[in-house]
Amino acid sequence: MEEQIAQLTGEAQAAIQAADSLEALDGVRVKYLGKKGELTGILRGMGKLSAEERPKVGKIVNEARAALEEQIAAKNEALKGAALANRLASEKIDVTLPGRRVPLGHLHPLTLTLNRIKEIFLDMGFSVEEGPEIEKDYYNFEALNLPKDHPARDMQDSFYITEDILMRTQTSPVQARTMQSHEPNSPIRMIAPGRVYRRDDYDASHSPMFTQVEGLVIDKGISLADLKGTLELFLQQIFNDKVQVRLRPSFFPFTEPSTEVDVSCVMCHGHGCSVCKGTGWLEILGAGMVHPHVLEMSGYDPNVVSGFAFGLGVERIAMLSYGVSDLRLFYDNDMRFLRQF
Amino acid sequence: MQVSISWLKDYIDFEESAEMLAEKYTMTGIPVENVIRADEGMEKVVTGKIAQLTAHPDSDHLQVCQMDVGTGELLQIVTGAPNVKEGQIVPVALVGAHLPNGQKISKGKLRGVASNGMLCSADELRLDLENLPEEQKTGIYILSEDTAVGVPAKDVLGLDDVVLEFELTANRGDCFSVFGLVREAAVLTGNVPKWPEIKVREDDAAKAADMVKIGIDAPELCSRFSARVLKNVKLGPSPAWMQQRLAGAGIRAINNVVDVTNFVMVELGQPMHAYDYDEVAGHSLTARRAVAGENLHTLDDSSRLAKGDELVIADAEKAAGLAGIMGGLETEITEKTTTVVLEAASFNGASIRRTARACGLHSEASGRFERGVDVTKTVRALDRAAQLLQDMGACTVTQGVVDVYPVKKEEASVAFTAEQINQRLGTEIPADKMTAILASLGFGVQSQGGGYQVSVPSWRNDVSCMEDLSEEVARIYGFENIPSSLPHGRVMQGRQSDVQNFTDKIKSVLAGLGMNEELSFSFTHPSMFDKLQIPADSPLRQAVPIMNPLTDEYPLVRTTLLSSIFENTVRNFSRKNEDIRLFEVAPVFYPKALPIAEQPREVLKLAGLIMGRRNALGWNQGKEEVDFYDMKGIVEELLAQLSIANYTVEAGEHHAMHPGKTALFKKGREVIAAVGEVHPAVAVAFGIPKKMFIFEMDVKTLMKYTAKGFHCDLLPKYPAISRDLAMLVDTDVAAGEIEQTIVKNGGKFLREVTLFDVYTGKQIAEGKKSLAFAIKFQSGDRTLTDEEADASFRNILSAVESKFHAELRA
Repeated sequence: MEEQIAQLTGEAQAAIQAADSLEALDGVRVKYLGKKGELTGILRGMGKLSAEERPKVGKIVNEARAALEEQIAAKNEALKGAALANRLASEKIDVTLPGRRVPLGHLHPLTLTLNRIKEIFLDMGFSVEEGPEIEKDYYNFEALNLPKDHPARDMQDSFYITEDILMRTQTSPVQARTMQSHEPNSPIRMIAPGRVYRRDDYDASHSPMFTQVEGLVIDKGISLADLKGTLELFLQQIFNDKVQVRLRPSFFPFTEPSTEVDVSCVMCHGHGCSVCKGTGWLEILGAGMVHPHVLEMSGYDPNVVSGFAFGLGVERIAMLSYGVSDLRLFYDNDMRFLRQF
Repeated sequence: MQVSISWLKDYIDFEESAEMLAEKYTMTGIPVENVIRADEGMEKVVTGKIAQLTAHPDSDHLQVCQMDVGTGELLQIVTGAPNVKEGQIVPVALVGAHLPNGQKISKGKLRGVASNGMLCSADELRLDLENLPEEQKTGIYILSEDTAVGVPAKDVLGLDDVVLEFELTANRGDCFSVFGLVREAAVLTGNVPKWPEIKVREDDAAKAADMVKIGIDAPELCSRFSARVLKNVKLGPSPAWMQQRLAGAGIRAINNVVDVTNFVMVELGQPMHAYDYDEVAGHSLTARRAVAGENLHTLDDSSRLAKGDELVIADAEKAAGLAGIMGGLETEITEKTTTVVLEAASFNGASIRRTARACGLHSEASGRFERGVDVTKTVRALDRAAQLLQDMGACTVTQGVVDVYPVKKEEASVAFTAEQINQRLGTEIPADKMTAILASLGFGVQSQGGGYQVSVPSWRNDVSCMEDLSEEVARIYGFENIPSSLPHGRVMQGRQSDVQNFTDKIKSVLAGLGMNEELSFSFTHPSMFDKLQIPADSPLRQAVPIMNPLTDEYPLVRTTLLSSIFENTVRNFSRKNEDIRLFEVAPVFYPKALPIAEQPREVLKLAGLIMGRRNALGWNQGKEEVDFYDMKGIVEELLAQLSIANYTVEAGEHHAMHPGKTALFKKGREVIAAVGEVHPAVAVAFGIPKKMFIFEMDVKTLMKYTAKGFHCDLLPKYPAISRDLAMLVDTDVAAGEIEQTIVKNGGKFLREVTLFDVYTGKQIAEGKKSLAFAIKFQSGDRTLTDEEADASFRNILSAVESKFHAELRA
């Protein structure tokens, strides 16, 4: 009996070793350990054995069975592993092929730039105001201390609709409109972004339409130092913490004192390059303390409040931020350009 | 305004280099645009004499020159210029020179003959061609025979001076003069000016007042008119020093009389004019308004008919010049002139500006009058001019000045306190520092009460209030010394308006849907209306015209964004960008009436266009092109993102869209969006042989229908029951209508209707189409029974069957 078991076990072991698939292995299990399997048959035939032999043989059979089950399980693992390895090998793909992208669209670079400008000023407590693009001469010029025939009007050649209506040449008319919509002498902190129009030839640095952001702060005790601090904060955020800001005296009819604001060149960090024409500085915006006439004309009392105003070109900042050397790219709307932003 | 360093140095000493002085000027509000060094590139250019000239052995146009350049040895140079002769003295660029025109000179051979330098032309040296005689403009520049040989050419050519080119602001008329700039330089350098003595000897017995009558008929346009009469005038060239000063100022020398008037204008800032006394009819000059239709014959030999508001200087018979802009031809100084009337006047800047613009005549004089001249200094200018001509021995000076000055200018006076100025600037500048600055600029400062009373110098027309004084203090104190601070006062909340936020949302949603934002000019051309098939009577053709458009291309302000979007599409298409997805949010302009009397309405619009491939080109991407439903899907998703629901969609009409492929999204009767395929005729008009799809919306209308506030649906607690409804209907039945009917008849448990299949073709009869809807029923408070769902479904079936003659399919 024992011999027979040993022989069966030997055969079974060989069959397990030889099984080359999960199906073959299962066949082996059924043949030896199944309900009608050969080893199971021995157990079933134990009734014929004597009472002494029975536990002895039973133990041997059970041990053999356990050993075989263990071997089948191990073989099963090995075969599964091999099958998985095969499958993985056969499923290999070329991961260097391009992926299937879901392309988003793009906001215009001037919108992106304007959004950044708006965020910075919104954080500083400025509201965002608007005004008409086709404007009265009164708001565009006269309310800004630029009477008819003032030579400073030459700085801004205008598109006229009638003698008294024109395409606004600046966002500054929103200053007067905002003041007039407020209770006299009440504080104002606003920016007014928008399109403006000048009769300039269309070239790499000029356009008959461009985008400006006007700024106006009015309150008691506002000073030129406040203007400087506010614009420094803005310019350092829009460019980088390290830019230096320089004020240069200038002239605008609607501010007194007036200043041009330069930043150290963001391309060469002030060392001098072609963008800053070797000067190390970039002219970035015009600003000044609101002229008392401008306050008076819109119902504010210059003896009670003071304010500063500034105007900056969005194209200029976008060109510097993105390294755009030709302004016309913004208005050509070439898909290859737009898709980069 | 430009002036040479040497002219400035005539009146003030300074150690600063031209660049340093320019920086100081710029940083105090007198901007210098350029420092022009005429001698740049002239380092290795010397004068040389052509000692010997021989023909090139191997060329019929080259010649070989043996040049004496003062070194003792002859230098061989080959030249191609035809105008050289032996014995001439010419500018010679030596080897190593880097000429003003950028050319570098090195050793070389021309057709086998060694050449060690180059003979130069005026153009190669960047000489001012305008001021050269015709024969010197081309070919080698020939120097005069007595020129020294072997000396730097820049000395001989007068290129040793440095010129400052100012970009002066409109308020500083006083700096349009050497005197004004020297005054500023004195403050910047701390040095004392050496003003020239202006003194004239009236050495002719005749009395000016007996010879000429001066009058002002238009005192509002001419506040002062002063004149002197010079006799025994000898016309000739002005001295070299004066010509050089004028050249540095960019003014061409003409003759001694004209040069002196120009010199004095630049020196003192007072424009002047010289009349030939014998040609002045009636020997009288009057400043008056022109008579409409009067002939104005100016120095440039052009005739204009007066409009009637111009200021002219007239003699007894006619206008003898446009005041302050250009003199008249008849009274011009000529070879025959012996007696001269010199004019120094003060004209109204606004009037001069209007006339100069209207005539397109901007002169050195008109520019100064526009910015304002010092009315108190006309006589000084006459004296200076008379003095200069007298010193040249070019005239005698008659007795007295004829001076008409009806209303004397009062000295302006401004009060300030140090505290006011410090508050405005945010500084703590001591009062005595402020008064010192103002005094150095020529202001008279008097202490008064706790503050100061300041008299404004006559040349500073731009200063009239404390704020103006604060700028004077700040610019000299130095803007770089102003501290930085942030506005204090009450905290304010930054915010955008609802329209701005809504517009931002539209842009970001569309960008998320693969659309690219364009920005384009607000201008358009009438031909666009035809291309877009806008009906003849449509208000969209009533566009605002621009009085003075830049070009013929854009005479109107746009009434539709589609004109811009097609322009951008055409540009892209012509550049082979054929996959286009563009949108724009911008205002269009509707006049209230034409011709324009008041500001037009500005209406914020949204438009988009797509064409080309649906997916980016790729190995694993579908190759199909976009269609109507891509564009409609974009609009549907946009509306969903904007919380706009419960609209209807129906077939409609739009001028630029295909009549069978136009959908109108509506809220009640109001159209909130139009979507469609571009009309084939419109596509042809724009020259694009491909299908394009567009949408057009009005931002404020959309905003009206956006749901305020938002509540989400909680997740359902009870299961839903689904039924599929498949049917055959005639092909022209609109799916949207069937869907509406399903919704209307679905009862209170209907949750969702989705059209999931549309089929025509095999197994479907001609003229029919198969539609399949998935319908979902659900209750919020209990589990629905099949019977309840079936009852609702049967209602739907019978409604659809009877309304659309639908044939239900298993």
